Amino acid sequence: MVKIEHKRALLVIRFRDKKFEWPIETRYWRNPLLGVFGLAMLPLFFIGQPDLLSLVTTANIYAAIAIPLGWQITGIGRLNFGPQFFLGLGGYTAGLISSYYLWGPWGTLPVVILVGLVFGLILSPLTSLAKGLYFSLITLILPLIFLEVTYYFSIFQGETGLYGILPLISVKSITAEQLLACYFSLILMVIFLYVIHKVMTSRVGVYTAAINDDEEVASNLGLNIKAWKIVCFVVTSVMIAIVGWFAAHFYGTFAGVTFLPLSFMLKILLVVMIGGRGDVYGAIYGAYFVVLLEKVLTVLGTVNYIVFPLILMILLFTLPEGLYGIYRKHRYREYYPSIRVRKR
Amino acid sequence: MILQLQNVSKRFGGLKAVNDVSMAVESGEIVGLIGPNGAGKTTMMNLISGALKPDSGKILFDGMDITGKDSYQICRYGINRTYQIPRPFPGMTALLNVVVGVLCGKRRPDMSLSDAMLDASHYLEMVGLFGKRNILAQDLSLFELRSLELARALATTPKMLLIDEVMAGLNQAESLRAIRLIRKIIEEYHVTILWIEHIMKIIMEATDRVVVLHYGEVIGSGPPRDVVADPKIIEAYLGEKIA
Repeated sequence: MVKIEHKRALLVIRFRDKKFEWPIETRYWRNPLLGVFGLAMLPLFFIGQPDLLSLVTTANIYAAIAIPLGWQITGIGRLNFGPQFFLGLGGYTAGLISSYYLWGPWGTLPVVILVGLVFGLILSPLTSLAKGLYFSLITLILPLIFLEVTYYFSIFQGETGLYGILPLISVKSITAEQLLACYFSLILMVIFLYVIHKVMTSRVGVYTAAINDDEEVASNLGLNIKAWKIVCFVVTSVMIAIVGWFAAHFYGTFAGVTFLPLSFMLKILLVVMIGGRGDVYGAIYGAYFVVLLEKVLTVLGTVNYIVFPLILMILLFTLPEGLYGIYRKHRYREYYPSIRVRKR
Repeated sequence: MILQLQNVSKRFGGLKAVNDVSMAVESGEIVGLIGPNGAGKTTMMNLISGALKPDSGKILFDGMDITGKDSYQICRYGINRTYQIPRPFPGMTALLNVVVGVLCGKRRPDMSLSDAMLDASHYLEMVGLFGKRNILAQDLSLFELRSLELARALATTPKMLLIDEVMAGLNQAESLRAIRLIRKIIEEYHVTILWIEHIMKIIMEATDRVVVLHYGEVIGSGPPRDVVADPKIIEAYLGEKIA
């Protein structure tokens, strides 16, 4: 049975042969579970307010793109200006198969992963061949070419986009459906958060940091940087494609004009930058901040389109390391894995 | 013979940085590589460590042909280097800088991060940086950075260490500490050393043999005392009049 003991500054919870320790002092509370719990509670306050529920879902989707993108940027040492290419790839793959062949979301998911994997592998040599600005330019152009392709071929149905995509969940109550979609997006984001957190606190996190700091020196120390950059690019690309899959099945429609233009890329990059690049948790703060700011500024009307990027640009100048960067600056030892002594 | 260069050449456009160089280093030897500025010493080091690929010639290490191999492969064969201007991972702590060397220098798929950190602590302790293990590399002094580079290179368990002007920018006391450190490394790890240095006093005291490069070509080789007495070498360094 569960046994709870109070030991000095710790609350010790024993369950069978397992032991969990919880520091009582609040300054030690940096447990991500608390944050996830808070995010899970959030939609419950917005029941009956579809616009706010949709806002939370959008923030979760942005964070789900920004979390793997943050790892990608540090892991390949280059700034990807076109993460939405893989988002479009995942969305269109799921949309095409679902609307034309009536496949459900769980049928389209493996195909999306496969397509993301194949395209990720095809494009992965760029992580070594194209340096700095060239990589950014190529990745910037890719989604724009894709957008043109969606206009050119009728199969993608141009500006209207694909519709009739089978939904992720279908329940009779609209409120319940929105709430469930919100939780689905949260689950997706938390899975990504868990995976990337595990990766970043493992030896792969050390490789990532080394590649980000100095590729040549990392290679000189025996790290096969080409291979690791390919792994990082492919895995993160597949993850972003999965977000596309989610978006297609969540909205029931998928149009390149929504996800592929530069304006969408701008939002995602700002989420990464404001959250602090290379930081897993920062992406969540960034996503919620950007979505909230976008929503608040809608009251200004069309001026919003100018004011929004303007505010974000000011923030980028004043907070070069992002919102989370302020915290991290004082606790840099936590940025990369620290020594943990096993007690058993 | 641990390292052998056979007619190695490297060109940058019209400039022959290394021209038909042949030399060898015996196992356990400390060889000094000297020459005036622009003689091609660092290019040689880049060629050996795999940072540059030679245009022609062969480089053999421990009986294996390492010509044109990637630097990570060369590191795993057992060659590592330090840089003339220290190149740490600035955003990582001193400990994690060395951890990279521990984890990547050899295939260690079963080594956990905690074990790697323990191993890295040993190398940091050896160079006297254990107390600064949690300081970001960008906040270390020049001497500490050079020590960190040595620790990081040693962490890859090399058979041969290429040291590029380790004394540059250090004051007299720091230089003495650096020499002591390198001697300690030689005693404890029995590594072969190829050492680029401008300070002749150190070369005279610390090396077994000296190779002199001039305009990318080897113009002399032998025990330090014989080499510095060679008029051809004095001419290369100080000009015809003085020679």
